[in-house]
Amino acid sequence: MFFQQLITGISVGGIYALLATGYSLIYSLLDFSNWSHGEFAMIGAYTAIVFSTVVKAPFALAALAGVAGGALVSFLCERFAYRRIRRNGAPNMFLMIAAMGLSNVFQQASNLIFTGQYRSYPFQLPVSTVKVGSAYIGVLDVVSLLITAVVLMALIYMINKTQFGLNVRAIANNAGAAKVLGIKVDSNIAKVFLLAGSLAGVAGVLYGMKYNVFPTMGNVGLKAFIASVIGGLGSVPGAIVGAMLLGVLETFVSAYISSSLRDFFSFALLIVLLLVKPSGLFGVDVQDKA
Amino acid sequence: MTNNNSTPVLEMIHVEKHFGGVHAIDDFSVKIEHGKIHGLIGPNGAGKTTIFNNITGIYAPDAGQILFNGTDITGTPPHRIAQIGIGRTFQNIRLFANMSVIDNVIIASNMDAKYNLPGALLHSGQYKEDEKKLREKAIDLLSVVGLQDKLDERANSLPYGHQRKLEIARAMALNPKLLLLDEPAAGMNAEESVELANFVRFIRERFDITILMIEHHMDVVTNLCDYCTVLNFGKTIAVGTPAEVKADPEVIRAYLGS
Amino acid sequence: MIELFNNINASFCSLFGINSYLQGVIIMVCINVIAVLGMSVLTGFTRLFSFGNAGFMSIGAYATAILTVRYHVNFLLAILLGACFAGLIAFLLGSITLRLKGDYFLITCLGFGECVRVLFNYTKNLTGGSAGFPGIPNFSNMLFSVICAILAFFIAWRFIHSKYGRNLVSIRENEVAAEAVGINAFRAKRMSFVFSAIYAGWAGALYAGYLMYIVPASFNLAKSCELITTTVIGGLGSLTGSVIGAILVTVLPEVFRSMSNFRMLFYGLAVVLIIMFRPQGLYGYKEFSLKRLIGFFTGKNKKAKAEGKEGA
Repeated sequence: MFFQQLITGISVGGIYALLATGYSLIYSLLDFSNWSHGEFAMIGAYTAIVFSTVVKAPFALAALAGVAGGALVSFLCERFAYRRIRRNGAPNMFLMIAAMGLSNVFQQASNLIFTGQYRSYPFQLPVSTVKVGSAYIGVLDVVSLLITAVVLMALIYMINKTQFGLNVRAIANNAGAAKVLGIKVDSNIAKVFLLAGSLAGVAGVLYGMKYNVFPTMGNVGLKAFIASVIGGLGSVPGAIVGAMLLGVLETFVSAYISSSLRDFFSFALLIVLLLVKPSGLFGVDVQDKA
Repeated sequence: MTNNNSTPVLEMIHVEKHFGGVHAIDDFSVKIEHGKIHGLIGPNGAGKTTIFNNITGIYAPDAGQILFNGTDITGTPPHRIAQIGIGRTFQNIRLFANMSVIDNVIIASNMDAKYNLPGALLHSGQYKEDEKKLREKAIDLLSVVGLQDKLDERANSLPYGHQRKLEIARAMALNPKLLLLDEPAAGMNAEESVELANFVRFIRERFDITILMIEHHMDVVTNLCDYCTVLNFGKTIAVGTPAEVKADPEVIRAYLGS
Repeated sequence: MIELFNNINASFCSLFGINSYLQGVIIMVCINVIAVLGMSVLTGFTRLFSFGNAGFMSIGAYATAILTVRYHVNFLLAILLGACFAGLIAFLLGSITLRLKGDYFLITCLGFGECVRVLFNYTKNLTGGSAGFPGIPNFSNMLFSVICAILAFFIAWRFIHSKYGRNLVSIRENEVAAEAVGINAFRAKRMSFVFSAIYAGWAGALYAGYLMYIVPASFNLAKSCELITTTVIGGLGSLTGSVIGAILVTVLPEVFRSMSNFRMLFYGLAVVLIIMFRPQGLYGYKEFSLKRLIGFFTGKNKKAKAEGKEGA
């Protein structure tokens, strides 16, 4: 039972992690939490639905289209909304408000286009379980976990070992200095939105496979946001750790205490943690210098 | 408040501040007598603004003591520092950009207003009296800095030089005994700097205050300061009158070397 | 006493021919005006962002409901206590979370709002849980709501135009400078937070007295988002704007009934466009004045025009 819950928790945490890393990447560059990020997962999931039901594409292709869909919308948001707001020199709170507005727009739009109906992928998904010791483990959980692990490892490699990752870290550290060094700030920010959007797309498709696809599924982004705050805003490893912690905690609270109190415990954990560590587990405390 | 001339207005004793392994200020001491203008000079990154931030409570020093009129103020939070009479300006001007010129000054004398919340909601006699006083005081101060015609303009619509003056007027609204000026002449040409120097001297006479200022323009320092301290990489390398300091070989080396 | 009020309201409405549908719309407008004014003080004037105000609304609503139904407290006193209780909770929450920076503060507010909702769902004995709390006396008639809204505006206006309001605005403009002129930013922020929670609680109390039946789900995150949305549409940093925003956002879907499905879509879009092109909103940083409006249309009032341009 315990082992089984643990695997479920980690696999849920994995989906959170895919989104939470997106929050962190964007926060590290722009110092704002992209409230609409969860909707990119929803958009990715619906794109995959459209491709698999309307175009009748095979699952792998539909899933890839979903990833691309999330990436594209994320990119468009940055290109046409956030960039302009940044150019205005507006306070970061305004970016967040705009993101909240976008989130409303996407959620309502998908509600109007696809109706509130729950949808699922027209494929035979591996819903069977395998018995490991005394525990039954969902094959889907394991598959989802493996995909998540591969994607996250690729992400970490990209950030730590490639030129792109170096540029992004430089901008996060000091955008002005990075510009002086000849790093194209805007185009790298756009790439990060593409990257974060595609991670969200992966999360959306996996979430849609595990549960269903519905217009408000983007609210899972809220959980990811919490995870990234637990890990410390702007820290990618922190986001992953925070997501795993949250996923496991939620699963255990649902299983052993009460599923209706699940969210209460998540938020309580968050508030208590912030009181002890005001910048999350791995966050850096940035002071406004005089 | 003891303000006989024997107690220095500001005394810093062996103050230290490091960030990580970097010594931003290393064993800094200074004594500023009443009515003097004291200059802090040194190349960029010498720790000058860090000294201001230690005095005004933005940072707490890692070691040492800061006395204001003989009272220990080490580690007091910024708003308390302002309330007890230390006003400051900022290197990169920090005005309340979207507020009117007069409101910028009125805010700084908010603590003079004694009315309470019910008074504010009911417009009590105290409220009216206090608000009138604050306004009059703000107009007086703005007249001193020559902005009396721009009361209702938005602070960020003022030209740069006027913004500097507004920031000083705002600091003066605290009725400070000590004024900290962070590079008041930054971005000014020679003529404007001379005007600024005259203005600072005028402020000192008019309000009988003590001034500690950070300045890069050596001519402003020579013209204005009674004493100055030269810093380099957080270390004090010379103290004395501007003339003495300028002749100091180590100062010459630090300036030529940088 | 409630009966007396309701009778006065009924004769007033029949005198002016206001039917019950219109009364309902006006009551909802008034409730939203109060909640949005609270949000406006917090977000527009202090630049603090709270996703938890629906939570404070629900605290006000449930406190008032429980006091009137279980303990037969006079509704005026119950509203006052409900609003103050929301304020007290805000004081306690703010005391521990307002030292957190930016988004960290924001997520704790959001978490608080969600926690309150989950708790109200869970404490079935006290609140009736997700089945709702029925039987609340119908004290929020139109006349009473309008009086409340006017009073709320009056108080907010005087609060903002006093030293307290100036403290908040100075924090919005530059927190470091505000501290440097002697303003205790933490305490001022807490005051703003409590003020906004009291208003939210007040609005929640009226809401309970209007619907006579409340469920925790009415006070979810979407409600908090709606409050922020309305504040932004009305204009950050303008009380009159907030009132106009609240009226627009409540009345428009009633006027365009067939479009009501698109309501949040349009509002979301409006928020994005306003932030992109006119971040001060409709009346941002400027209060509505008839003189300026006339000047704007006739083009005669040059000063007003210049100010209008500045704001653009």
